[in-house]
Amino acid sequence: MKIKQAGGLIAASLLCSFTATGHHAFSAEFDLNKPINFKGVLTEVEFINPHSWFHIDVKGPDGKIQSWMIEAGTPNVLIRRGITKRSIPIGTEVVVDGFQAKNGTLRGSGRDLTLPDGRKLLIGSAEPDSK
Amino acid sequence: MLVAAQNQTTIPRGANGKPDLNGIWQAMTRANWDIEAHEARAGVLPALGALGAEPGGQGIVEGGAIPYLPTAAEKKKNNFEKRLELDPEAKCYLPGVPRATYMPYAFQIVQNPNSVMIVYEYASAYRNIYLKDPGEAPADSWMGQSYGRWDGDTFVIDVTAQNNKTWFDRSGNYHSDQLHVVERYTLVKPDVINYEATIEDPAVFSRPWKINMPLYRHLEKNARLGEFKCVEFAEEFLYGEYRKKD
Repeated sequence: MKIKQAGGLIAASLLCSFTATGHHAFSAEFDLNKPINFKGVLTEVEFINPHSWFHIDVKGPDGKIQSWMIEAGTPNVLIRRGITKRSIPIGTEVVVDGFQAKNGTLRGSGRDLTLPDGRKLLIGSAEPDSK
Repeated sequence: MLVAAQNQTTIPRGANGKPDLNGIWQAMTRANWDIEAHEARAGVLPALGALGAEPGGQGIVEGGAIPYLPTAAEKKKNNFEKRLELDPEAKCYLPGVPRATYMPYAFQIVQNPNSVMIVYEYASAYRNIYLKDPGEAPADSWMGQSYGRWDGDTFVIDVTAQNNKTWFDRSGNYHSDQLHVVERYTLVKPDVINYEATIEDPAVFSRPWKINMPLYRHLEKNARLGEFKCVEFAEEFLYGEYRKKD
């Protein structure tokens, strides 16, 4: 009986540790202390689940192109806000406002994108301080 | 003239007088290996010997060659060289249109005057064919959005909003998310559909091009659509490297 219970506990904890990285907390992946705000060129838009992605090329401080991936809400959330995959043409210069990945890679959680004409599109899935 | 009419095979028609496409169908081409004409060749895994080799085919592309734009032709070549790694079929990903039509698996057309659906044996792929124009698709998908209507005795399906992740075959022939496919299904004999598709993608090809092949009805007694749920077969291939090591 003890062995069975231990086995069950191990199995359950394995399951838990797997789903913790799955998806819930903003703070598991992104850093509120690493805000990002830069202008770049939109190169690709992916409307997929669980998160849409806006790919943006920025010229880094060394002059080289940095390719960022900005995480956005689900296609359903974005479409209900009136944003579709083709809302922003590829090649448009946009200003990204969001937070960078904890591990410092060229990934961020996007809050909004500002278009050349000044319009702001809210692309985030949730407010950073909610779970 | 009466004699000629009697000699013609009559195709079955539904209640609304339209040709009845209901049935289980399958293409008999080698197109899934390579939609262009090609000789038999060694496969991607020498360990499989002749089991893994690829049969030759006459091709289904009208005019022979796919009209790639120059940079796209380079990408296709790269796709071909890395096809074991890159072919979405190896991962049991959905095939998109038109690849779903000529994969070596059957599919079933379910048709009545108010609705049409095409269900594929491969990976549970299916398409709900809208019979009223649904407008622009809200998002891209693997099998796209299909809008079908009759042009005389030919059922024409307009397929838009496919994502850019599918291939046309196992040889790396590919497209972008601007792909637009128009399929034409014509029941030329009770057991044969003539299938034609026009493919357009200005980001990859220099002009639209067409593919063409017959689809044959499965005539076995009690023929039924099978299921090839291949996700479990792709798990080791995709995730084997993450297996916990003792």
